[in-house]
Amino acid sequence: MARKASRKRTEGLHEINMTPLIDVSLVLVIMLLLLTPLAFESSIAVRKGAASAKKSEKREKEERVELKIISEDKVIVNRKTVSLGKLSLTLRPLLADKVQRRVVIDCDDSVSHGTFVDVLDQAKLCGAGDIAVLGR
Amino acid sequence: MKRFNKYDLPQTARLNLTPIIDVALVLVIILLITAPMLSVADIDVKLPTAQTRGAEDEGRISITLGETGELAVNEDLVSPDKLREILRMLLAKEQNKNKLVVVRADQKVPYELIRVILREAREAGANRLAIATMQSDKGNS
Repeated sequence: MARKASRKRTEGLHEINMTPLIDVSLVLVIMLLLLTPLAFESSIAVRKGAASAKKSEKREKEERVELKIISEDKVIVNRKTVSLGKLSLTLRPLLADKVQRRVVIDCDDSVSHGTFVDVLDQAKLCGAGDIAVLGR
Repeated sequence: MKRFNKYDLPQTARLNLTPIIDVALVLVIILLITAPMLSVADIDVKLPTAQTRGAEDEGRISITLGETGELAVNEDLVSPDKLREILRMLLAKEQNKNKLVVVRADQKVPYELIRVILREAREAGANRLAIATMQSDKGNS
């Protein structure tokens, strides 16, 4: 009688094999660790404006905002020199009343790429729709 | 008479292949999915940070420029004077016609080099250009 009861208790016990699950999970964790830096990579679309863009029509010229990065912390916004820290304060109202929100950016050769991207980013944050980079 | 002992039986060790097949399949699937993402050169590049995101494309041609001036198109190192030619060859392929060309340059690189790369890409026939950035923690859009 007692033997019968003990058999009944053990009959339903099945051990789940955790090894494959742990293996797959570990592989996933390793892959995610490796790919995380790539997942945070993004990009800002730019249009490459030709050198002749400077000589465009007057109306179009009025419609766009011109930025020229002259040093690591100085930017000329439509002929007015502002510091990089105050760029968004100057740029936001200028872009607010434009329909196309086009920004043309020129950059001095000695300025670092990091500063150039910072200006691009600030222009985007201020609402720039179309960013053109001036060529020479 | 010798008593029968279960330890006398020859032991057969069976190798369980299930976990290794599981892991291999998962690896294959992940590599298939991430292959387009990994098509960048193995150059140490510290990308400039930005809050905005945009121009997200799965298929793209990447131009990588390291801090010390190493240049690569996708995974291959190239010399600067051959950049236009290589880009033209890549962009001439039917599947690459309208691909996004992303410039992945180190944040310390002078803009002079970026200007040259952008000009070369444009003259090679790139219709869509973008500058690669690293999403900053303050990102909100």
